[in-house]
This record gives sequence, C-alpha cells and structure tokens, in this order.
Amino acid sequence: MAKENEEKEKQPAPSIGAWVPAVALGWLIPGGGHLLLKRTGRGVLLGVAIGGMFVCGLLMRGAMFQPQSGDLLTTLINTGGFIGDLCSGILYLLTSWLGYAQPDMAGAVHDYGTKFLVTAGLLNLLAMVDVFEIAAKRKD
Amino acid sequence: MTMNLSHFEAAFLFSLFTSVVMGIVTKNTDRERLQYGAYVFVCFMAALFGIGWAMQLGHG
Repeated sequence: MAKENEEKEKQPAPSIGAWVPAVALGWLIPGGGHLLLKRTGRGVLLGVAIGGMFVCGLLMRGAMFQPQSGDLLTTLINTGGFIGDLCSGILYLLTSWLGYAQPDMAGAVHDYGTKFLVTAGLLNLLAMVDVFEIAAKRKD
Repeated sequence: MTMNLSHFEAAFLFSLFTSVVMGIVTKNTDRERLQYGAYVFVCFMAALFGIGWAMQLGHG
C-alpha cells in the first residue's frame, strides 16, 4: 500500500496540453470533458445529472450568489456561493446573460433552489477533477 | 414555469443527482460506480428519514 502511494506520488506532472482543453470543456459544458476523452456514457450521465440539478434549481426560483464583502461569514457564504455558481459553466453564464437569475426570496423551496444551483456547480467541479485524472492517465 | 416541491421531493432529487455524480467520479469500474452510487443514495435516504424522525420525536 505504502509502495503504491509512493509510486503514485512519483508520477510526473502531465503536460498542460493534455488536460487543459478537457478540463476547460468540462467546466464550460458539464460532462463535456468526459465526452472529449471518449468516456461517452459517463459524460452523458454527468451532463444529465448536473444539468438536471441546475434546471431544477432555476425552476425552484433559487437565487444566484454575488460576491459581497462585510463580516467574515457574509464574505464566505456569498463568495463561496458565487464560485459554486460559476463552476456550472455555460449554465451559469446563460442564466446570467439571459436574465433568468432570480433575486433572493424567502421560502423553503427557493432556498432549496439556491442550494441546488450551488451544488450543481460543485458537482461539476468534482467532474472536472475526474477529467483531469483521466487526462493525466491516473484513472481509466 | 416554476416547481413547487415538498421537502421530501426536493431532498429526493438532490440525493439522486448527487449520488449519480459521486458514483461516477469516485470509482474505477462501472460495477463499483453503480454500487457506490446506490450506497450514497441509500445513505442520503437513511439520513433523510432518520433526521426527519429525530426532529419529529424531539419536537414532541
């Protein structure tokens, strides 16, 4: 086990050209990085799951975070939420550009929607890490 | 068009989507992915019902 970990640590860093296009496409289009690397089934499933979660969040009229400064908690929540939203790639960009971003409203369903939107982005971040590992040949 | 989901429906959808992604990104073979995705989903459901009942009983 220790030897395996040692061998993994010794793996050379992959060249930028090998992983940047796939990770960038994975950010822009959820599941796109997997499709580029010929992992079609996984790419489609990721696209459906992340896209479905984002659309559900929008239909629940969840709010998009905007970076705000102030006390530490406000900064953390709003900046972290904004980064989470941004990780959804084109879903976030289209929502913002086409004016579908909702203002923050009180209500359990809207609150769930906001969490769905952020989580969709964070799940896409996990998918991007997976794309990196595949592109770097650390994973099949 | 809007969606008005109950707490359970929203939590169910959240669990489903999250389980799919967690299953795909964490394991190496399709069988392991399926098993882990199902395991994560069952854990979400167990937590949902467990915490729900705990709140119900705690509330009196």
